[in-house]
Amino acid sequence: MHRTVPSLPLAPSVKVKLINAGFQVASDLTDMRPLQLCKEAGISQEEAVEVLQMLRDDGQPHQQRAATESLTALDLLHQEQAQGSIVTFCSALDDTLGGGVSVGKTTEICGAPGVGKTQLCMQLAVDVQIPVCFGGLGGKALYIDTEGSFLVQRVADMANAAVQHCTLLAEDTEQRQALEELTVEKILSNLFLVRCHDYVELLAEVYLLPDFLSEHPEVRLVVIDSIAFPFRHDFEDLSQRTRLLNGLAQQLIQLATQHSIAVVLTNQMTTRVSNGQSKLVPALGESWGHAATQRLILHWEGLRRLASLYKSPSQMEATIQYQITVQGFRDSPDEPRPVPDVSAVSSQSGNHSKRPRMEDLS
Amino acid sequence: MASKKLRRTGVSADLCERLKRHQVETCQDVLSITPVELMRLAGLSYPAALDLMRLVSKACVPTVSTAWDLWKKKGELCFSTSLPALDRLLQGGLPRGALTEVTGPSGCGKTQLCIMLSVLATLPRSMGGLDSGVIYIDTESAFSAERLVEMAQARFPEFFSVKERLLEMASRVHLFRELTCQDVLNRLERLEEDIIACRAGLLILDSVASVVRKEFDTSLPGNLTYRSNLLGQEAAVLKYLSQEFCIPVVLTNQITTHVGEKVHCPQWNQADVSTEEDSGFVTAALGNTWSHSVNTRLIVQYGDAERRQIVIAKSPVAPFAVLSYTVQREGIRLEGNENPDSVLNQGTDPGLQPIRVRTGFIYNLSQATPFTC
Repeated sequence: MHRTVPSLPLAPSVKVKLINAGFQVASDLTDMRPLQLCKEAGISQEEAVEVLQMLRDDGQPHQQRAATESLTALDLLHQEQAQGSIVTFCSALDDTLGGGVSVGKTTEICGAPGVGKTQLCMQLAVDVQIPVCFGGLGGKALYIDTEGSFLVQRVADMANAAVQHCTLLAEDTEQRQALEELTVEKILSNLFLVRCHDYVELLAEVYLLPDFLSEHPEVRLVVIDSIAFPFRHDFEDLSQRTRLLNGLAQQLIQLATQHSIAVVLTNQMTTRVSNGQSKLVPALGESWGHAATQRLILHWEGLRRLASLYKSPSQMEATIQYQITVQGFRDSPDEPRPVPDVSAVSSQSGNHSKRPRMEDLS
Repeated sequence: MASKKLRRTGVSADLCERLKRHQVETCQDVLSITPVELMRLAGLSYPAALDLMRLVSKACVPTVSTAWDLWKKKGELCFSTSLPALDRLLQGGLPRGALTEVTGPSGCGKTQLCIMLSVLATLPRSMGGLDSGVIYIDTESAFSAERLVEMAQARFPEFFSVKERLLEMASRVHLFRELTCQDVLNRLERLEEDIIACRAGLLILDSVASVVRKEFDTSLPGNLTYRSNLLGQEAAVLKYLSQEFCIPVVLTNQITTHVGEKVHCPQWNQADVSTEEDSGFVTAALGNTWSHSVNTRLIVQYGDAERRQIVIAKSPVAPFAVLSYTVQREGIRLEGNENPDSVLNQGTDPGLQPIRVRTGFIYNLSQATPFTC
């Protein structure tokens, strides 16, 4: 217990008084009683109790807690395999991502205007609701819209198409039962919508997300579309913007792991001029590139829409083609898929991941 | 919401005082700093600082609704443009609560389209209108009241045969002339009162590009970021207004020459475009960031001899599509769309979509029809 007093999470005035009274290290305080501390340091009784309680939480039990809380990689493997992913209905993209957008991670989608970022987000918000017996997560979604691009007619079309798709797949009674409850109305009712007009409202919403997620534990997806727009025009002080964005990224990663949800962020592209040439790079600066766990870049090539997995801790970089149809986000017909992966969606329940499994580790 | 003062949010009075000494007075000030900085400024412990953040967040967070609530108000989601093929593609019309941009070369019909939409907005709901006022912010002095009246009479002759209705329609269109960037921004920031006073159901800004391009020379360093910031602010204010009042906002833009490799155009867009390899091509102005800010982008361009084309370049609901139209006395008339191309699931970057400009002048020597009043 060599923690110094200035590093404790106490109010600054309390810390100053403790230091002036001669307490330099946390171990100096361990055997004190509240009244004694009160007299020696000149702090109030409530403050003394607060100090000692904080130390007690930080003390010996902490080391024991640390020992029991450590995870082995084996535990983590089981956890990762148990957590599902959200399909995108574009099998090429699902393969690239290792089954879909993974739960427990933050995924960033960057792209030029009009390439399909909002379409993909809306598709994911519908797909997260596919029942478990069909290979989905059966969860709800929260859509934080900062740009005003969320148009409910489009989501209704996608929901309709998803229901049709599941109807074609229904084989056994369990699936047929689940299908009866899967209506466009239900899908739209399980899609929570928040409209934020500036970065302050966005930050407020993220600070309150833990409370929201505790109230609605079935939420499995949080989409922020887009995170770039509110942060791009109001800031003269760019270092403040970087600080706020880093704080935001940390909070989102914490939420993703603690509440086991998938967080999807949309970013814009900006023009960077170098050596007289200009090219498009993701907006919000270099340091933002480290914020998300996975990064997907959508771009145009002539008439085709391509998606590139740019950063991922577990998947290989790849580029695939997709298209946006009336039903939503789909595979492009130009690239032949061997067999439409109908069976993959309704595979044996429990095996949602498309990564090769190791049989003996169970 | 963000500028809500702290003392109205339930924060204790002495805490407000302590924060005021460090110029932290509103919700925005509190949320713009990190919890560790707040700890230092307010003299709180870390958990107490987080609690304060949560309390302040509760005061300015927007309400949560569901998509189903939005779907139930389906009838109020779109503003019909009275051009059936366009409405069909846009699934109802121009979206209310979002920004629609019309861009194209000069003389192609952007202002004509705006004037037509103004007439439509004032019509009663039974005729597909919004039965409301129109706010028209004109930066190019291109709005013509005579044309407004002529279009109304030609498009809806029986309805506007009664003179009072014509006068009433004209009195519902409120025109603001702003000639500098700062004027436009000031006007937009004070527009809430005007929208409520005029009971406006449509907001038109014609055009965004002209004032901005007059004042910012983007070859000078720093001007490009300044211009982008200004446009971002305008977009944010417009989005706020359109969403709060649930009205469509129509903006017009100009064109610029993009120097670079030519973007491949789809078959039906290629007919007469000359293939000069190293010259640039014409595309929408105001840059990439602005292309992100608008929700829907319609490009008007020149087709063959007399027809012009409307291209849906960016839309959350519509596929990439091209429709032909002409400009007549009654405004825009779609024609020649009997066999629409099958829905193509292709497209191009709306910020780089090449636009066809007028390549020749057709001297139309027919007699001008006398103006009937």
